[in-house]
Amino acid sequence: MVRLQLDPFLNELTSMFEHTTEKGSVWVTLKHSSDKSKVQRNKITTAGKELEYKCLVRATDGKKNISTLVGTKDHQRFQASYATILKARMTSLKKREKKDKRKAANVVDKKLSKTTKAMNVDKKQQVPVKRSSTANP
Amino acid sequence: MVYVISWDDFVERSVQLFRTSPQKSRYVMKYRHSDGKLVLKVTDDKECLKFKTDQAQDAKKMEKLNNIFFTLMARGPETDITEVTGKEQTAQPAKRGRGRKQ
Repeated sequence: MVRLQLDPFLNELTSMFEHTTEKGSVWVTLKHSSDKSKVQRNKITTAGKELEYKCLVRATDGKKNISTLVGTKDHQRFQASYATILKARMTSLKKREKKDKRKAANVVDKKLSKTTKAMNVDKKQQVPVKRSSTANP
Repeated sequence: MVYVISWDDFVERSVQLFRTSPQKSRYVMKYRHSDGKLVLKVTDDKECLKFKTDQAQDAKKMEKLNNIFFTLMARGPETDITEVTGKEQTAQPAKRGRGRKQ
């Protein structure tokens, strides 16, 4: 398991998605963790200090394992970058088919209505310009 | 495997599960580009909730769930997630405009 910093982790995650386009899967796991062993945790709690928790993020493509810790301050930034990667990469999911069917039906209807309309001759209508003369004494 | 049909049901139960056992719960996501499938799992090693989909619209919903979990895990299980879910529980009273000065 390779422990990385936030940005290298995101880069590695992107390359994992690239490698698994044709074959394979990407697993991403999120866990609430303090990254300390049980002994250390007990010591801290008995000393009366508060335990600092972070979000442990792990990713694998079946062969390579990477992980990173996201703290309270970094989580907004990480969240945004992570969302961008997912949006860009998850392109093989199906989009709604109902909308496409409706669009096809509308196009067919419009074509039929155009052929049945009669052409109207345009007559230029001269609109007399009325100028109201207001005499100001 | 316990596959949940409704998305909202899945979200509610998984947040509840995490709040019950924050030390043990984990949120797993598996994506297969070749099959175009996405599977989500939330478990505390006793109870397991899963959700699978092949719809692009569910990917957007999953992003919101990701935000919820990031907030819960980074800040602590007692965090108020109403800001993240966009639902305001405490409605602030609207400022009433002053009446015409007569």
